[in-house]
Amino acid sequence: MTWASIGRGGHGYPALLAQLHDPPARLWLRGEAADALLRPAVAIVGARSCSAYGSQVARSLARDLAGAGLVVVSGLARGIDAEAHRGALEGGGATVAVLGCGIDRDYPARHAELARRIVAAGGLVVSEYEAGVEPAPWRFPARNRIIAGLALATVVVEARERSGALITADFALELGREVFAVPGEITSGLAAGTNRLIRQGAAPLLGDEDVLFALGIEAETGGGSLELDGVGEPARRVLAGLADGPREPDDLVRSTGLDAAVVAAALVELELAGAAVEAEGIYRPARRGRAPPPGRSG
Amino acid sequence: MLRESAAIRHGSVPESARRRRSSCGSGAYRGEVLARATTHALVGLDARPIEVEAHLQRGVPAFAIVGLPDKACQEAKERVRSGIASAELEWPLRRITVNLAPAGLRKEGSGFDLPIALAILAASRQVPFDRLALHAALGELALDGRVRPVRGAIVAAEAALQAGLGRLICAAESAPEAALGGVEPVPVRHLAEAAAYLRGRAEPRPVEAPPAVLPAVLLPDLRDVRGQERARRALEIAAAGRHNLLLGGPPGTGKTMLARRLPGILPPLTRAEALEVTRIHSVAGVLPAGQPLVAHPPFRAPHHTASTPAIVGGGPGPRPGEATLAHRGVLLLDELGEFPRPSLEALRQPLEDGTIAVARIAGRILFPARFLLVGTMNLCPCGARGDPAVECSCSPARLSAYREKLSRALLDRFDLVLTMPRARSREVAGPAGEPSASVASRVIRAAERLAAAPPPASETARDLLTRAVDSLGLSARGHARVGRVAATIAALAAADRIDPAHVAEALSYRSPSDLALAA
Repeated sequence: MTWASIGRGGHGYPALLAQLHDPPARLWLRGEAADALLRPAVAIVGARSCSAYGSQVARSLARDLAGAGLVVVSGLARGIDAEAHRGALEGGGATVAVLGCGIDRDYPARHAELARRIVAAGGLVVSEYEAGVEPAPWRFPARNRIIAGLALATVVVEARERSGALITADFALELGREVFAVPGEITSGLAAGTNRLIRQGAAPLLGDEDVLFALGIEAETGGGSLELDGVGEPARRVLAGLADGPREPDDLVRSTGLDAAVVAAALVELELAGAAVEAEGIYRPARRGRAPPPGRSG
Repeated sequence: MLRESAAIRHGSVPESARRRRSSCGSGAYRGEVLARATTHALVGLDARPIEVEAHLQRGVPAFAIVGLPDKACQEAKERVRSGIASAELEWPLRRITVNLAPAGLRKEGSGFDLPIALAILAASRQVPFDRLALHAALGELALDGRVRPVRGAIVAAEAALQAGLGRLICAAESAPEAALGGVEPVPVRHLAEAAAYLRGRAEPRPVEAPPAVLPAVLLPDLRDVRGQERARRALEIAAAGRHNLLLGGPPGTGKTMLARRLPGILPPLTRAEALEVTRIHSVAGVLPAGQPLVAHPPFRAPHHTASTPAIVGGGPGPRPGEATLAHRGVLLLDELGEFPRPSLEALRQPLEDGTIAVARIAGRILFPARFLLVGTMNLCPCGARGDPAVECSCSPARLSAYREKLSRALLDRFDLVLTMPRARSREVAGPAGEPSASVASRVIRAAERLAAAPPPASETARDLLTRAVDSLGLSARGHARVGRVAATIAALAAADRIDPAHVAEALSYRSPSDLALAA
């Protein structure tokens, strides 16, 4: 099997990538849609062993950005990277996975199916290494410069103090591109890297509209409230209970005074309406600050 | 003390035995020297009739047991010899051959001691063999002649009744159990007592009636569970619809505590079910002393180090495993992810059709195993996931290996999946929860409603389910599971049809994507 490739300076070589001080001499491609490299793109990167919260943020952010027409670039790694690719696929957009090994390899192997879906959905798997090159630890930082180089903005979702995602952010800063970091709890090790980025001047990311605004794209929802058609009164009360952040159902039972059965049904209603998400038994409002006040009809 | 009483009652036993021999006319050791007793051997959960033949011949005194006895049965020789001597009966100085027929069936265990001893006593004319022929016998002998209970008394009693034998000579401790099997038990505490009874010298001392069934108060009560509203609700649904339940969450959130309270809210066993469970527990030898009938749904919680045969049954003479012991009750697999994969896969058959087949060259044995499965698991190997206070230290590879241990096929058997996070607030000291008894009454009513006619789904409920398939990525199997759970929820609400609210609640107990396929 052979793979297409684009040489530096050749037709279709992304101009953004050429701005790196050591751009790859050749980019190998898996997939037909070579133009995905030329469209406006956002990199979403982060820790491999991420939290449920982190994977949820990565996924929904990628979904929204892909829905707004942006290409989502990431590294096909476990954790945040894979969630970003999945979110982009869910959003119906194109996504580009940059490998740190030969173009013929699926690394990690468990994401072979994900890579196949990326290509099938009009995305690309790219690498600066020709077929047969083994993954090696020193190739991943080099891979990260390509991720940063392809994207107009880089979002770091979760990163520990010494995370590979911070290398990507550094490359993006060197290139003068936008860098966003998702703020986290100051006591959480998984937020240490992202919070430090914010202290160093990265923009804190509070929603997909931050990225869209920075890139000059108008957000479609315009900060309006979610469509909550057919959501009953209990669901509204439960959503109001979620307004202050993540809650477990038992807390909501106590704070709303509703029956456990009613709260359970209400949470599913909110999930179906896209207003709440669940991970590891904890429910969170799906979008910050967009929940309508209780009692307001949707 | 028993020896004393035996001696007092029978006087000088060897003398009386001599008198008996002379009264038999033809001379004890000349003409008929063959005698038979009937007992039963366990094959799976059934008892097969075994004829114990004792033959006395002239020659050098010897004692042999033939007919495929196992080690425990072979050792009966020593116990029978000592037992007969201790009962101050006479050990015939002959060449003694005991045959256990049918000879092709493997005989296991120590329950043959009493019938062997009685057959030898009958062959040597120390007890009347025609009277012995009207009885079945079962029991182990102590070296001092006491009769000890053995497992499987109730199935032996039932088999004796089928064979037309109305009385079973057994240990006093086994008598209440034998009575459940329908025969008239002859409770004996000592071999001498059995001999005296067969000679018509003494009626068996009746055993005191067994205490009434264990009061439900002794089962762990839901009253002790504070808070946990969602988990309590899931427990109620699981009990009403007999849905398998998977509880996930960090250690110490009360998963096991809740699971132990499930038998207390299950509908009580019917008489037929109780007898069925009693039979199983009797054969396995786990009936508690003084409680012959298992009246409450059993609860079994094998440790994850248990072998696969210990869980699904097996062994040379196959014995029921924990899954069968949990028949009509609850099987708790605590730390599901720690169980070896073969054990978990072996549970798929009983979860599918409620039986376990143990295949042997000699044949196939079916054990019933219709249980409610409760699994608990941490969200990751180190257990910290889901706990806001601790940071998970598991590598992604270890995490996925832990989750992949549970095959989709097994996860698909859990109708209800619940993640129980550790409470962020310290507020766990609430008022005492609703007691099990009042939950149980709701469960019973719902179970009756489901058994009579499961409520049909309304149009809007079906719409919601279809929408969930699209937007939540529910599989076809998941669709069916949610439908079943929704029916149970409707039955608990005494609704005559399934409403969207019931479906929505059912959807909240579906397998979360992070426990299911992570791709």
